[in-house]
Amino acid sequence: MTNFDPVTLEILWARLGSIVDEAATGFVRTSFSSLVREANDYAVVLTDAQGQSLSQSSFSIPSFISTLPRTVRHMIDRFPPETLKPGDLLITNDPWLATGHIHDVSTVAPIFRRGRLIAFSAVTSHVPDIGGRVRSSDVPTIFEEGLQIPPLKLLDGGQRQPAVEAFIRTNVRVPDATMGDIWGQGAAHERIRARLLSLVDESELDLAALSHEICGRSERALRAAIAALPDGEYPYLVRHDGFESPLQVQCTVRVKGSDLEVDYTGTSRQVESKSINVVETYTYAYTAFAVKALLCPEVPNNEGSFRPLTVQAPPGSVLNAQHPVGTGARGQIGHILPVAVLGALGPVMGRRQRAEGSGNCVITMTGREQGRRFTVANFINAGQGASAERPGLSGISFPSNLGNSPIEILESEAPVLVRERSLRQGSGGAGAQRGGDGIRFAFDYVGEENATCSFLMTRRVVSPQGAQGGQAGEPASLRVNGEERDPVSVKLLQPGDHVVLETAGGGGFGRA
Amino acid sequence: MSGSSRAQNRLPVRIAVDIGGTFTDGIAQLGDDGLILTAKELTTPQDPSLAVATVVAKLLEQARAAAGVRGATAEHREVVHGTTLVTNAILERKGPHTGLIVTRGTADALRIAREMRYDLYDLDIELPEPLVDRADIIEIDGRLDARGRELEPVSAEALDAALAQIRARGIESLGICLLHSYLDPRHEQVVAQHVRRALPELSISLSSQIASEIREFERMSTVAANAYVQPLAASYLRRLRQSLENVGATGPLRIMISSGGFTSDQSAADDPIDLLESGPAGGVLSALNTAALTGVTEVLTFDMGGTTAKACVATEGVPAITYLFEAARARRFKKGSGLPILVPSIDLIEIGAGGGSIAYRNALGLLNVGPQSAGAVPGPACYGLGGNDPTVTDADLMLGYLDPENFLGGRMRLDPSLTERAMQRLAEELGITPMKLAQGICEVVNESMACAARVHVAEKGLDPRNLTMVATGGAGPVHAVEVAHKLGIRRILCSVAAGVGSCLGFLSAPARADRAWSNAALLEAVDGLELGRVMQQLRASAADELLSAGVSEQEMEFTVTADLRYVGQGHSIAVDMPFESLDADMPRMLAGLFERKYVQLYGQVLPGGVVQVVTWRLSGRSKQQTRQFHLEPAEAGTSGVRPAGHRQIYLPQRQAFGEVPIYDRYRVPPGSVLQAPLLLQEAESTIVVARAAEVQVLPDFSISITLSQDDRSSQ
Repeated sequence: MTNFDPVTLEILWARLGSIVDEAATGFVRTSFSSLVREANDYAVVLTDAQGQSLSQSSFSIPSFISTLPRTVRHMIDRFPPETLKPGDLLITNDPWLATGHIHDVSTVAPIFRRGRLIAFSAVTSHVPDIGGRVRSSDVPTIFEEGLQIPPLKLLDGGQRQPAVEAFIRTNVRVPDATMGDIWGQGAAHERIRARLLSLVDESELDLAALSHEICGRSERALRAAIAALPDGEYPYLVRHDGFESPLQVQCTVRVKGSDLEVDYTGTSRQVESKSINVVETYTYAYTAFAVKALLCPEVPNNEGSFRPLTVQAPPGSVLNAQHPVGTGARGQIGHILPVAVLGALGPVMGRRQRAEGSGNCVITMTGREQGRRFTVANFINAGQGASAERPGLSGISFPSNLGNSPIEILESEAPVLVRERSLRQGSGGAGAQRGGDGIRFAFDYVGEENATCSFLMTRRVVSPQGAQGGQAGEPASLRVNGEERDPVSVKLLQPGDHVVLETAGGGGFGRA
Repeated sequence: MSGSSRAQNRLPVRIAVDIGGTFTDGIAQLGDDGLILTAKELTTPQDPSLAVATVVAKLLEQARAAAGVRGATAEHREVVHGTTLVTNAILERKGPHTGLIVTRGTADALRIAREMRYDLYDLDIELPEPLVDRADIIEIDGRLDARGRELEPVSAEALDAALAQIRARGIESLGICLLHSYLDPRHEQVVAQHVRRALPELSISLSSQIASEIREFERMSTVAANAYVQPLAASYLRRLRQSLENVGATGPLRIMISSGGFTSDQSAADDPIDLLESGPAGGVLSALNTAALTGVTEVLTFDMGGTTAKACVATEGVPAITYLFEAARARRFKKGSGLPILVPSIDLIEIGAGGGSIAYRNALGLLNVGPQSAGAVPGPACYGLGGNDPTVTDADLMLGYLDPENFLGGRMRLDPSLTERAMQRLAEELGITPMKLAQGICEVVNESMACAARVHVAEKGLDPRNLTMVATGGAGPVHAVEVAHKLGIRRILCSVAAGVGSCLGFLSAPARADRAWSNAALLEAVDGLELGRVMQQLRASAADELLSAGVSEQEMEFTVTADLRYVGQGHSIAVDMPFESLDADMPRMLAGLFERKYVQLYGQVLPGGVVQVVTWRLSGRSKQQTRQFHLEPAEAGTSGVRPAGHRQIYLPQRQAFGEVPIYDRYRVPPGSVLQAPLLLQEAESTIVVARAAEVQVLPDFSISITLSQDDRSSQ
């Protein structure tokens, strides 16, 4: 079948979506990583034989919107089709080839039909552990971050490669859980293969023709949305809190006909001492997310959704970081890219223009209590920007989707007593529409001995800005025992310490 | 139960009543041989108990007459009732002025929720509005820790201040949710006692009683919802009992709950949040009862109405249960967009696909169907009530599946020319013929239901090819065969009297009482003695509830369920065993059962994994029995196996129209075997079998369809 009417195409498209969603469902349920389960920190993709994305699991977070098909194409470069056979499973966690940090492990499997390569399945997920130092923004190079897995065959014609598995097992803290997740990816590949083959058999489907058709449709939809914008150059600057020195993201969006270019020239250099650097694929991913959310959120993701978009960031900048800088905490910078793109396109978005919001803060704590080791992480989200039509949302995750931990769960897993989790009334910027409020999270550390902790915070120095005369939101802050602290300086909590963390309010829209 | 009453020449009458948006339906079961009488009244929205009482009065009258013919007297036993009152009260925000008392520092929990977005790409996401205003949430002191130890008592000053605030705000119903009350309810009880002494008329709900589970936001959301509906539910049930007594139905009143059981009217008035899925639960039980009668236990129920389609998986005859339900979703078909409610509910998926679902051309130029629905008004184009958009029902009409002269048993005429006009317009937009469009609408809506079912079945670790589909609802029997075919399901059952399906479910439901105990621990570290003590307490409390629902001790059975997972995993798996096997060895046995179930779901165990229990649950039920129902024999089985007519319908297998016989469903005698393709018409629906299959009429007039083997499935 190579000709598709609007009915057949809809049915086949739905089936491709259901194939990856079914595989994703099984994978999430068996995963040992709390980030996969609670925060959908995974993605499952089906591509054609050229690595062009056909469909993607529905609930994955935006950071994988475009990275995974690229990983497939990198794999094709290293393992040309003539070297692949049924039962092969390729693996890597190289940040530059895959998702931007080594904590995600990606696997790719070729799918053969009657001896011919017709497609690839690809899965990536945040694994429970990858060795190295515990994740923080303070790790200078990738060598301290943990195990690097170069592109390798984990299964060769269905045969396990013991050397590869042994290297992984030896280098991670929880080998059973980490390998459990990787083999869970294997099960997802198997399910996709079986389902795709029965679909192709049943309808004598020409997958390449289908790929051409659906990617073309998605591409045309996005092009139509871009073409509706006035041609021009739209710059926007987002200042970040910075570390030793200030840091900025300079974003210029150029609309020309149905093409959209996002250029990050003018953005700060990569930061050698911190692991907050972003590789080019991740920069592309969060840029593409913003463009899609703004212009055509309802169109399913596939290769066509990316063709009209080009993204440039100068090599060596913090948005196109070069080996071997650390990238583990890439979200610190990556999460402000949607703010930059939304800001740049704001003036031509009419009533959908919006003020800036803030990304999340994270507390990680580890120690010993009654002879047992504990580790907990809690995400504390912030206020979002108001738009012409409505106030900003309070205390909600954007652009990622990381929920909080219930107080009762936190207290049963770690020796803390949570005193308050509330909205910071009035912390959103004033305006015709108010910015969303940030969150105040206060707790006592009540352990027997000191605990190691890390606070990843954002919007502490430069608060989310308003738009069209709206006011900026209140900045984030951290106080320990009543004293204002720089989060980077707090590495230890002592019994009795009282911590108050406040996240930023979103910017207001329009004059109040 | 039955022998003695017949000896005294008295026929027991059991009645079930379901309140729908338009009609209040009722059935009476006369005697124990399953004879069914039916009655129907327009729903009385201002006081739904009025229509219920009228229906019950009619049924009692019919029952007396029918018993008289048999030389017996009718003896009223019970009324089982399902209602959407609770769901509607929350959807339409009709509850009273509700307040909450919570632990200091947690008053914003309802507004903060879990800080997540249910749609990643929607920048203007709409969040569900909490049921209680922030100004009506009162913080008090007092604190337990995560092991249930008291760190700080609730002070008398705090209690007095709270009381003053309740009075000042004019709060009419109160929920209480204090941190760690799932471990120890005493602080909540102290607060409740204090408030009750001062304000004896105030409705009070305790989170430790309504949903004794860890996670403060979800528990608070649940108790807030209970408080929000409690006064309404209590007064409704009081009125209903009175109305029933007025018409001579003095027997016990049982209320259907979300978990697929019934409870006493008193328990329902105390914990009305358990009634959220009352109606849909009845529909599922009815389907399962039909399946059980033919010896089928592995089932996919498929209920398709005017706006939505629902599906539920059952294994070993028991429907899957979920312990977290969402009410009043901001976006109906989006998971995560509703208010979380921690009550055991039959695990249904619902998608926006029904007879009224509208077909349109989407942004990509493709044909899409739903979730927008034309509803009953204006309805599908063929209704002639002003609807201009082609719907699924229009497509069914165009393909010959529906009879324009005989829709809803002839109560309504459909106009094919209006359908053609609506099809014409969209077909031109899409560049296809109207006939191709009608086929496409059916194909697309069937595919979207099959896709949703596929993912749902995968979540349960099952293979759809091993399931039997039971179809209900007005549009269910029209689409069931094609959806089943897409899923690789070979056998489809259609139960009797689709219009009163929920009522049949009410009569076949067991009594049920659920209790939970959250106490996270490694399974190997569980103190068997303590577990035994707690379970005995829960059993006693559940037994009290069952007793009040009219179940004797001998009829009760209890199951202990543990939510288990490997340490570090987020999703747990429910593993159950009979209460009787509760002993010191139970943790070890549960570990074995868990591994077996894990392998079934995921194919392998985790090497070196340590098993952890999150929540213990105790479920008490009356021992289940399958009930056989049949309609008055006079209506049925008189015309033999001759078709009532013939019609051209679209046959997807041949991709062409062909003439098929039409049978009047209730006039084909039980035991008949027919060869499809064919149509079986009845007042409430039409069973469409548009491909090769063997169709059997079962003794109770259920229809069993077995698709031919040579028909390759699409699985």
